[in-house]
Amino acid sequence: MFLAFALLTLGSALAMAFQKNVIVAGLFLVATFIGVAGLFVLLSNPVSAALQIIVYAGAILVLLLFVIMMLNAHEEEPPQEDLYIQRYLGLGVGVLMIGGSFWFIKESKLLQSLSERPVNQVAPVSLNHIGTEMLSHHLVPFEMIGLLLLVSMIGAISLVKKRL
Amino acid sequence: MTEPLSFFQALWMGGLQGYLWVGFLLFIIGLMTVVLRRSFLLQFMGIELMLNAINIILLAFGKWHGGIPTASTFYLFIIGVAACEAAVGLALIVELYRLKSTTDADQHSGLRH
Repeated sequence: MFLAFALLTLGSALAMAFQKNVIVAGLFLVATFIGVAGLFVLLSNPVSAALQIIVYAGAILVLLLFVIMMLNAHEEEPPQEDLYIQRYLGLGVGVLMIGGSFWFIKESKLLQSLSERPVNQVAPVSLNHIGTEMLSHHLVPFEMIGLLLLVSMIGAISLVKKRL
Repeated sequence: MTEPLSFFQALWMGGLQGYLWVGFLLFIIGLMTVVLRRSFLLQFMGIELMLNAINIILLAFGKWHGGIPTASTFYLFIIGVAACEAAVGLALIVELYRLKSTTDADQHSGLRH
């Protein structure tokens, strides 16, 4: 199961990165988010999986596809100037980061000891736990997130509207 | 009590290292999308991919710390910030499109100066 969802996630992310048409890339992004939600279920976290589907695959992707279709910019334009050096430098840094992260995960003693903990008996995180934790220990960040959402909503409207 | 998985078993069968590896790879794919593609909309999708990658890593560590609800609480805060970022980022893209009727990042290189 883990392998199936991991391959769904990474495969559709790669397909998105090399897609010419922006709308098709957005649809591959939906598949990526669904794969990530499957990984969350396997991490015994069904509440986060539901939130992932609702917020990312629902709200943010609808907003993104709406903007793509409104802007009528479906294809990437040909480059003005060839920046071969930067392109290959970027790919090289990517390969270097893949190798470095693999080496880090393989060699880290801390991760090795952490991964040997038993996780078979871990109970799924319920909404009850999350609500109690959030409203008793993290109340101030909760209020600040509400304020941040309000401010960003006002900011987005004032950016797009021509005359307030 | 089952035997702990070896490193390569953990990669294939969903140990902690497997989730971390998926998260790292997803982050790098997102970063490469931002660096190598020129359309603002595709770069925005790359940023969303990077946010999802760190969410996977956060919840994996949460499970291996005994399924604590703190990880899920922070995940809630992260998607709140991601929603704000999506709204403001898309508003900026719409505004830049109105300015030059293109979403190509190269043609907006005047933002550099």
